[in-house]
Amino acid sequence: MSTLALTIRESIRYRGRSGHWSWVAHRISGLAILLFLTIHVWDTANAFFWPHIYAWTIDIFKWPPVAVGEIPLMAAVLYHAINGIRITILDFKPEWWKHQKLSAQISWGLFLLVFIPIGIFMFVTMIEHWQSMGDAWMNFPRLADYPPMN
Amino acid sequence: MTTANITGVTHRKVQVQSNFQRWAFLFMRVSGLALLILAVGHMMIQHVLNSSSNLSLQFVAAQWNLWGWKVFDMLLLFFALTHGMNGFRNVLEDYIHNRQTVKIINTVLVVFTIVTVLWAGYAIASFNSAPFLGN
Repeated sequence: MSTLALTIRESIRYRGRSGHWSWVAHRISGLAILLFLTIHVWDTANAFFWPHIYAWTIDIFKWPPVAVGEIPLMAAVLYHAINGIRITILDFKPEWWKHQKLSAQISWGLFLLVFIPIGIFMFVTMIEHWQSMGDAWMNFPRLADYPPMN
Repeated sequence: MTTANITGVTHRKVQVQSNFQRWAFLFMRVSGLALLILAVGHMMIQHVLNSSSNLSLQFVAAQWNLWGWKVFDMLLLFFALTHGMNGFRNVLEDYIHNRQTVKIINTVLVVFTIVTVLWAGYAIASFNSAPFLGN
């Protein structure tokens, strides 16, 4: 675990500049996506195995403290995708390595360009949905309210 | 290492031995490319064009009533999980240097990935929409 602490400290301290921050963001976004993906896949399989459990967990995903996580998830996927394209291009084009910094900046720019409107749209849609739910918007779903189906 | 002048790139033919790491590297690029369509597409379709607040069993049933969506989701399942787990392995191998530990971790990751793909793939393939669509 001391390696982990060292890694985190040095990842922040190390002055690798633009490429370094892209590397950190690529790792963190990838790990975050994988964590959600694993939960999401096992959860979605329940739609077949135990539909009433799935009906319940869907509503947990819609519970506001969990639901807001959808926006950083979108950010993680978009950044990982855009930066992944950059990595792949540079892997096969060594003669472009001198543009490392510019390519990292382009990735961040593209990411913001795509994510900001989408993020705002998702946030507004989410707020409107909560408003439509009235007083129940913050109620945590209880399994007892989801009877088994056949 | 000195700062190399890489403006003039020298091309050399190097015989690279075909090994696991090289295939893993190539797989990350190929699956990444597939995920540009599958994963980004999934996010756009499910989270922007459709809203998560409308998600329900009926919504899932309506989608999985079509084989096209089942195939899309099974491909997404396979590529996302293998790409993600291989990336996780890369991250772990950067910090864990004991070969024995790495071997154990890799085995666990492989088994977990296979079990997850089979479990969820079976669920998608076998899902019957009829009871949820009221017909």
